[in-house]
Amino acid sequence: MTKRPLRILTAVPICDGHDSAINTINLELVRAGVEVIYLGYHRSARDIVRAALQEDVAAIGISSYNGGHVEFFREVRDLLEERDATAIGLFGGGGGTITAADAAQMTRQGVDRIFFAGTPLDEIVSFVLAYGKRRGVRHRTAKSPRGTFPTDRTIARTLSELGPLPRRLASQPRTVGIAGPGGAGKTTLIDELVRRFLATHPESRIAILSHDPSILGKGALLGDRATMIYSQNDRVFMRSLATHGTAGGVAAETGRCLEILRGLPFDLVVVETVGIGQESVPFAPGAMDCSVLVMSPDYGARLQLQKIVMLDVADVVVVNKGDLAGARTAVSEVEHRLRAAGGQQRVIATVAKAHRDTGVDELLHAVLGTRADTV
Amino acid sequence: MGTLGHVILAWRAHDANVEAEVQRARTDGDAGGAWLERWLAIRAAIPRGHTPTGLDLPRLALPELDEPGAIARYLLGQGLPGEFPFVNGIHSEMYLQAADGKPGRRLEEPTRLFAGLGLADDTNARFRYLTQHQSSVRLSTAFDGPTLYGLDSDAEAVFGKIGEGGVAIDTVEDMERLYAGFDLTDPACSVSMTINGPAPILLAMYVAAAKRRWGDACAMSLRGTVQADVLKEVQAQNEVIFPLDASLRFLGDMVEHCVRALPRWYPISISGYHIAEAGATPVQQAAYTLSNGFAYVELFAARGLDVNTFAPRLSFFLDCGLDIEYLALARACRRIWAIGMRDVFRADERGQRMRLHTQTSGRSLVAQSFKNNLTRTAIELLLAYANTTNSCHSNSADEPFTTPGEEYVKLAANAQAILLEESGLFRHMMNAIAGSPGMEAVQKAVERGILDEFHTLDELGGVLTAVEHRYQRSQIQESAHRYERQIGAGERPIVGLNRYRDESERLPDVEMMRTSRATKLKQVARVKAFKKRNRVAAIRALDSLSRVVESGGNVCEELLDTVEVCSLGQITTRLHDLVGHFRPLV
Repeated sequence: MTKRPLRILTAVPICDGHDSAINTINLELVRAGVEVIYLGYHRSARDIVRAALQEDVAAIGISSYNGGHVEFFREVRDLLEERDATAIGLFGGGGGTITAADAAQMTRQGVDRIFFAGTPLDEIVSFVLAYGKRRGVRHRTAKSPRGTFPTDRTIARTLSELGPLPRRLASQPRTVGIAGPGGAGKTTLIDELVRRFLATHPESRIAILSHDPSILGKGALLGDRATMIYSQNDRVFMRSLATHGTAGGVAAETGRCLEILRGLPFDLVVVETVGIGQESVPFAPGAMDCSVLVMSPDYGARLQLQKIVMLDVADVVVVNKGDLAGARTAVSEVEHRLRAAGGQQRVIATVAKAHRDTGVDELLHAVLGTRADTV
Repeated sequence: MGTLGHVILAWRAHDANVEAEVQRARTDGDAGGAWLERWLAIRAAIPRGHTPTGLDLPRLALPELDEPGAIARYLLGQGLPGEFPFVNGIHSEMYLQAADGKPGRRLEEPTRLFAGLGLADDTNARFRYLTQHQSSVRLSTAFDGPTLYGLDSDAEAVFGKIGEGGVAIDTVEDMERLYAGFDLTDPACSVSMTINGPAPILLAMYVAAAKRRWGDACAMSLRGTVQADVLKEVQAQNEVIFPLDASLRFLGDMVEHCVRALPRWYPISISGYHIAEAGATPVQQAAYTLSNGFAYVELFAARGLDVNTFAPRLSFFLDCGLDIEYLALARACRRIWAIGMRDVFRADERGQRMRLHTQTSGRSLVAQSFKNNLTRTAIELLLAYANTTNSCHSNSADEPFTTPGEEYVKLAANAQAILLEESGLFRHMMNAIAGSPGMEAVQKAVERGILDEFHTLDELGGVLTAVEHRYQRSQIQESAHRYERQIGAGERPIVGLNRYRDESERLPDVEMMRTSRATKLKQVARVKAFKKRNRVAAIRALDSLSRVVESGGNVCEELLDTVEVCSLGQITTRLHDLVGHFRPLV
């Protein structure tokens, strides 16, 4: 197996929307071969640490411009300590808002490095790349006590090492695969499904495997988390995977990761593909309890529908963005296409971006195999 | 074709009409004669004044023209100050000293300085300090992160952010403390609040606080502005909290309420500042800001509001940096706005005027050899006033590090006084600087750049569709990335950073504005006490708010009651339950 690329988590603190600097740094890191998991702006220390543990990153980079950085970085450091994860590096910057005195204090509190205004981008990149060399230091993996749910760290390490497989459970989690072209709204739909599932299943736990493409010969920007609101939750385990050039919509290790997650007491496991092409069939037959194809109404001429192979194998077809002109036509064209090929799959129209969309309610029942009137 | 397409057509038609008039003035003897006569009358009517050195000068400088075609092109193409299309300003006399020659006594200074730190009491003291020598009270309020995101100071995970970078406001009682001692009903008092997502709630708190002090009737005389520009938040600043549809509805409710009940309030400040600070080029700043403005006009008109009731209440806020575009950026913007409002939206003259607040560029300031920032800001101020901005904020030199300390705030304010009162550039004569061939060449190039962007936005389906496809965001991010790379490569010279760098220099030791732990705890206690005291009434008020949201009523009007007993966070929590959260774009 080839060497795993360096993984870094970046974010902007809570109550701070200044993402201009971090966007630029993300791009530079990706060019240098780093897999950047970007959590977005206005994120709490708790969200950041949870994501860092789940994504098994080497370090966390935080860009702070709204003040309160001494407290915020300390909070992140404290949470890492609390979860026995101080091996995860911590660095950051804030233009001129972080003074030399602040930086000295923050370094004493366990921050590896604060970059000041005017630091050349190349200097930041080489500093971050050095985290790659630090790896190989084995993290101490705390074993979860028997009978308790494994910690995020334990699951994350297992996914990174692709093993060992947990023992098979008597009842496996329901596994749902969500595929579709880029821009159809897969991530938003998943986040809305998560919100509903958490609300209607109070003790439940969800795992999400999300995919983003790697830029050829470079790193990857794994940005799905940045647009998810409800999936940053202690009951949700999410892992972002880069495809590393693997065609078909998922990564080479996806199958193995899925096996691991299915062996854990999750209630629901969701796999999101990268944006797929017409001929892609990302999920092997039987690999998912329910496979969903998400489309947007602007697929082009009706003839294009004939070429979408996944229409024949998906269990459920979603036409998202139902508020767009042409959405109704799209639903009937898709239904016609399915029936003409002898398919009986359900077609559901959704507006994932709307609050409390009834189409998404219907989709949740469809993927869980429950009936709308049973909950 | 959408609104922006129609603006492009109107702009072209306007230019064609001007040129047709120019031809007519040259070929039709009567028309030419009429233009000459009008020009002579205008010149004859210009009052004159004396400088302290005894120089006799006209109060308005006009080009030396004696050919009817050129006169027609000047008067129709850019107009006199205060005349369509307002290239030379929306008023005839902007910064001129009184005709009797007494220096520095205008009714109202254009200086407006942004302040906000710690708790309401601390910011109140800063406001008093800032306005002690001003004849008019123009306050500009910066809020802390939790307030900007609609969170209470006792919300989970925000403790470190309380009172940092702005003032912490949780309740109507904080709002009373914030402006205590200022007569908010005085015609010479105006209050600006930089708040967007929760703007209707903060405005309701402001009105409620004023009513507690001066009674219900005071609403008629309250004067000020809330930023409330949610489109630019989605494009650049990331402080929107409700989904865009809901945000626009609440904004519409607020505009409607202001038009009806707060006749002197400016309910929205259409802002390019944050777009530029996030990395946009000057042309992108202008294009996205103006197109957002036209999108708002279209939305409010679609609610059934008469354009002439709300258009005069719209105002703009632009960044002014060191790039050459800023020599004429605001001039170009005023012209496009005037043409679009007149010819596409049929607004009357008041609605054609683009009221403009300018702030010097924060992004142009750097931490290295930071006192150079005084020079940068001075040049930007000169550009802003050469573009006849209606009001202006000058940044403090220490802003790359901190909320400005008093020393640098004073220097920034004095820079404006030196430019407007001490120097003779603006106080004796309108248009002393305007009208150079270079300025006009830049203006033309900027206008063409803006209209090219309009064309792209129109092709994408208009502003709102482009926002959903994150077009503006990706353009701004690309420009930001290019800017950083240009600095790194030395293609964009920054003195002290990539040129003339002082290697021996250490980071400066500046006065830091920070909020202590004890202060933060005090605010947490205050909001907790408020909620405890009003816990019963709050339930009823929030349920009443829910009914208004769900029945499609005017949320802003209802909020005037809600804020009496509910905190900011209680209100946003309820609204989130009803309409959801904004889903971030990256």
